[in-house]
Amino acid sequence: MSAHDASSLLSVEDLHVHFHTEQGTVQAVNGVSFTVGRGQTLGVLGESGCGKSVTGFSLLRLIRPPGRIERGRIVYHGLDTELDLVQEPSRSPLLRQVRGGEIAMIFQEPMTSLDPVYTAGNQVLEAINYHLDVSQAAAWDMAVTMLGKVGLPEPQRIMHTYPHQLSGGMRQRVMIAIALACHPQLLIADEPTTALDVTTEAQILELLQELQTDLQMAILFITHDLGVIAEMAQEVIVMYLGEIVERTDIESLFAEPLHPYTRALLESIPRLGTRDGKRLQAIEGVVPSPADIPLGCTFHPRCPDFMPGLCDVHAPTPQTLTDGRQVQCFLYDDQRPGVRNLQS
Amino acid sequence: MSTSPTTPLLTVEDLRMHHPVGAGMMQRRTGVVKAVDGISFTIPTGRTLGLVGESGCGKTTTGHCIMRGYTPTAGRILFHDPNRGPLDICQADRRTLAYIRQKVQMVFQDPYSSLNPRMTVQEIVGEPLRVNQGLSGPALRARVEELLTVVGLHVSAMNRFPHAFSGGQRQRLVIARALSLRPALIVADEPVSALDVSIQAQTLNLLQDLQERYGLSYLFIAHDLSVVEHISDEVAVMYVGRIVEMGPTHQVFDTPRHPYTSALLSAVPRPNPSRTHQRIILQGEVPNPANPPSGCAFHPRCRHAEDRCRHEIPVLQATGDGHRVACHFADSLSLPGIGQV
Repeated sequence: MSAHDASSLLSVEDLHVHFHTEQGTVQAVNGVSFTVGRGQTLGVLGESGCGKSVTGFSLLRLIRPPGRIERGRIVYHGLDTELDLVQEPSRSPLLRQVRGGEIAMIFQEPMTSLDPVYTAGNQVLEAINYHLDVSQAAAWDMAVTMLGKVGLPEPQRIMHTYPHQLSGGMRQRVMIAIALACHPQLLIADEPTTALDVTTEAQILELLQELQTDLQMAILFITHDLGVIAEMAQEVIVMYLGEIVERTDIESLFAEPLHPYTRALLESIPRLGTRDGKRLQAIEGVVPSPADIPLGCTFHPRCPDFMPGLCDVHAPTPQTLTDGRQVQCFLYDDQRPGVRNLQS
Repeated sequence: MSTSPTTPLLTVEDLRMHHPVGAGMMQRRTGVVKAVDGISFTIPTGRTLGLVGESGCGKTTTGHCIMRGYTPTAGRILFHDPNRGPLDICQADRRTLAYIRQKVQMVFQDPYSSLNPRMTVQEIVGEPLRVNQGLSGPALRARVEELLTVVGLHVSAMNRFPHAFSGGQRQRLVIARALSLRPALIVADEPVSALDVSIQAQTLNLLQDLQERYGLSYLFIAHDLSVVEHISDEVAVMYVGRIVEMGPTHQVFDTPRHPYTSALLSAVPRPNPSRTHQRIILQGEVPNPANPPSGCAFHPRCRHAEDRCRHEIPVLQATGDGHRVACHFADSLSLPGIGQV
């Protein structure tokens, strides 16, 4: 996976992130590899505890003890030379330049991610002053422009307001303004609309799409919501218990999901307009604790296609199909004798 | 789901809940927040009414009023008891209220904060039985075991504490506790919002099974329209303290008559990447209920608003097709429903 084409902006190779707690080692991210293309949106889909947020934080090297990036490479191709973010010392100037300048992040809860004692303007200015060498007056103008760009009315006035004076949707806009102030090439959006009302969510999703076109940036969009991912992403990786179980384009995700987990997830959600009075197809059981991952395929205790003696003993490896999609399941592994192949 | 006429279980008539707002050191009264401002609806026996709206619309306050967590400012909430006839929850004395609260139970959004972490499962689920029915010893234990089985938990869970359970399992515990006194109505306030996608389906199925088995009625408060559509027979859409549209679920969703309902439906992200639709993006935000706009509260965001909407509050009126809507132009507008958006 070391070769990459010119269009890739960030490639993650075999990333392992573990949390060493008193109760044992939690393998939050367990051998994850993916590539984000320039200007593209890659969706990361998964339920709580699947490691999607930890993956996002790793890209900015924001994993704190007891968590640690155990191994793997996070190669950023946005600068003149390739930069492996894992190898960079945690206080290196280069890493600081990338963090916030090249790769920015927005979070789910806009209230807790803004500082309540600084004005919105101060917080946008901080990002600009840190990364760009501009005068105070120029920085102020840039901040006002940015607040206007994210659709806040009267940006001059917003500069002087404190977070508690703003609504949830407006706070999220301020956070987006901070993140995008230095025109990063990659935005990591970790459930950015989950805490918002549905009409506000629609506004923020539309805003992100507009800004993406405008600023030519890539987005890593982390969510649990199948509806949101359908609106935002071109490619999707589906995560379950720290592993990528499926990587696919967005159309195939919904038209022909491959992995039994993806299929079950799609069948379990109620959909608007399909009122047939039927029961939902729930997935059996619960997501196991990441501290206690099942042997073999991690999904096997809940899988409808579970094959005894195989799935609970051996761990499946990622299989690449002819159309480029990838799935980590024995159902698609024709190298393994005795395994039926659903594709044939 | 049949549409035969059924007997009402709960009737809410012109319910108002106004909170005074104070300011300054002496908390001088400076205004009121009209959290709920004159809403009426009926929940028939064995049916589900979905109450939808965005945060601050008053849907949770409505639920709390039904539990008499708040004493409403005005209006009536009649609980039609099969033995004792209609009882007004707003006027009930302590003893009547204690009785009604056995028959009306609540399930909350966050199963992490609605279970006492220092009580075992047996204590949590058994407490209502102990307090209200004086059960103890083997009888109590047997009933708790029965309830755990009903909600799909193993009886070996009896002596464990809430922290040992996942979110979905905790919500089952909350449901078991709510069922313990054999209620007729369950007020479920966002019962699946805090749960993972794969766990939501299990919980919704459980709620539907229990309804079938015990003839329960639900007031299902939620912001997720696809969940509400799935579970509700009827739906009421709230905006800034008022019901703007109400009716059988399929009618409200297929042929919405209020511009807000239509915009709400259009805003829901749909799991269908090939869908090419023109989404209605509402401008602005939900107004502050302490200072709602004049006339129709929705007019600043409504693209069909005219001068009349700024001055005159529309009343909820029956339309030809059996649902009710509060809009001056309900008859002349043709709005997209879920089929078109």
